Amino acid sequence: MANGAITERAGVERAARSNAPERTTHSAGRRVMTTIRRLRFQWSLYLLMLPTVLLILVFNYYPSLDAIRYSLYRWDGAFIEEFRGLENFIQAFGHDRLFWQSFGLTLILLVANAFKMWPSIFTAVVIHRLQSERWQYVYRVLFVIPMIIPSLVGLLIWKSFFEPMTGIMNKTLQATHLMDVLQWLDINVLGWQAFTYGSPAWLSNSHLIVPTLIIWGFPWVGVIGVLIYLAGLQNISQDVYDAGKIDGLSWWGKFSKIELPLIMTQVRLMLILMTIGTLQDYGLILILLGPEGGPNNVGMVPGLYMFTEGFLNQRYGYACALGMVLFVIIMSITLVYQKLVRVDK
Amino acid sequence: MLSRRSRERTKELIKHGLILLVLFSAFFPLYIMVVISFKDNDQFVRNPWWFDSIGTWKWENWSFAWDTVKIYIANSIVTSVAATAFCLLFATLTSYVIAKHKVPGRGVVYYGLIALMFLPGTAATLMTLFTLLKDMHLLNSLWPLIILGATGGQALCVFILRQFIEEIPNELFESAQLDGASSWQQIMHIVLPMSGAILGTLAILQFIGNWNNLMLPLIVMRDDVMLTVPVGLMRLEGEYVKEWGQLMAGYTISSIPMVILFIFTMRLFIRGLTAGAIKG
Repeated sequence: MANGAITERAGVERAARSNAPERTTHSAGRRVMTTIRRLRFQWSLYLLMLPTVLLILVFNYYPSLDAIRYSLYRWDGAFIEEFRGLENFIQAFGHDRLFWQSFGLTLILLVANAFKMWPSIFTAVVIHRLQSERWQYVYRVLFVIPMIIPSLVGLLIWKSFFEPMTGIMNKTLQATHLMDVLQWLDINVLGWQAFTYGSPAWLSNSHLIVPTLIIWGFPWVGVIGVLIYLAGLQNISQDVYDAGKIDGLSWWGKFSKIELPLIMTQVRLMLILMTIGTLQDYGLILILLGPEGGPNNVGMVPGLYMFTEGFLNQRYGYACALGMVLFVIIMSITLVYQKLVRVDK
Repeated sequence: MLSRRSRERTKELIKHGLILLVLFSAFFPLYIMVVISFKDNDQFVRNPWWFDSIGTWKWENWSFAWDTVKIYIANSIVTSVAATAFCLLFATLTSYVIAKHKVPGRGVVYYGLIALMFLPGTAATLMTLFTLLKDMHLLNSLWPLIILGATGGQALCVFILRQFIEEIPNELFESAQLDGASSWQQIMHIVLPMSGAILGTLAILQFIGNWNNLMLPLIVMRDDVMLTVPVGLMRLEGEYVKEWGQLMAGYTISSIPMVILFIFTMRLFIRGLTAGAIKG
């Protein structure tokens, strides 16, 4: 805080000095008056910026710096506070199986989520190719409506689908006799014994947790994604399509040669958001599987591991160190992507 | 000629069919939510797919759910509205100074804000933030949600508003200055009227973000009467014996405020959602 005030004052003095030479023709008294008025004016401007500056210094920068500091400490959030140097990091990289396992799961989810981006792209293209502009607008509005529902409500409803006895998932599988197929697969190929009684517990069987996380959100059409792709598609000029028509492009050729290359900026943007989200988010898994990430910690992701280590096991210092590792990973990925996006522009 | 036209027609129909299929699956959870909200657990197990005859509807699910969630909704409305208002007020003041006055140090403030957009918020900062709030005696009240809601939006709002205010012609401000208008009056009479649409878009974006915020209230709140909608619903869902009908009625009721907001601000809403995703 004190730092900010000092730089501000220094800045004002510098400004006063740089303005002084212009007014050498005025009398000394007048010069002092204008300087004072100018100073007062500038202070009022700094006052206007003060709330923002205060808020981000106290609630954004201070906690971040504090987290860096505590990553070098053994700290329980209250009583124990002891400097340990790099020991937290050595522990994390060298001896923490769960830490590595959580990154393994993140990798699986990243691959799955990369595939789950495609339905949104296809949906946007189909809407874009409708001939009637009015229908395009109607569908755009309709796609927003499910977004209005609080995200947690959507999540909890989906969670109820996976309940073993009452959930929609098992009822659908039973009604379509897909359950018999899964049972056969389980007995003859997988050997998980998860489907034995015909009503698998998707969220509490350690074999089924990762598949559940992958199926989650079927058919994987994200509203925001569709809207952003549509915005990109609308920028494609009619000339390009006409040229494509002359070349006799099929519907797939139109997609792979015109539409996809021209919305690559948007695709990369969504890829960045998806990657950061997958690495960082843990709310979904906390709600689905609880703070331990389900049986045998199968569903543990890095963010959740930090959360649990900190708030449940009171190992704040260690959690801060894990946070640093994740921070560096996310930062470097963002920078790499940022470069890629800029090249395209 | 005719066959070509009819081929075009079939093509259009296929497209509509595909979109409707996707829309169906997007709306399906909401449909199930409403259907089940009128059932007790027996009816739910027997027939989860469709409404029962109207005489057997369990309206008491709704009254029970309303009694439970109304306090969460009130808390959510208070915090989301206040956080959004403070966020936009502070961001407008800062953007005005950065955009229209060459005060020393404005670059530091601006890039200090922009850097936050690239700073991933991990659970580690959540912990240090938690201890900070504890030291400030702000736990278990609505204030931290309002303050942090306002803080969280600063970076994006200043980033967008600065560009917008910069494009307002300088002559307007100069003539106002000649008339002796203070900075505050310039903001009130020039900036605000000219940036109504962008402020609306940002307001909706911030409101949605605050309304859906889960982790912060989860760690900050202890008393049931202080919970916001997401945490309140999460706590209800975690109870051991589940009355699905009441739960689903509660979900439906908690969704209604946003539906109302949407109906009145559809255009801004769609724009806000698209703008929100670009902040990364």
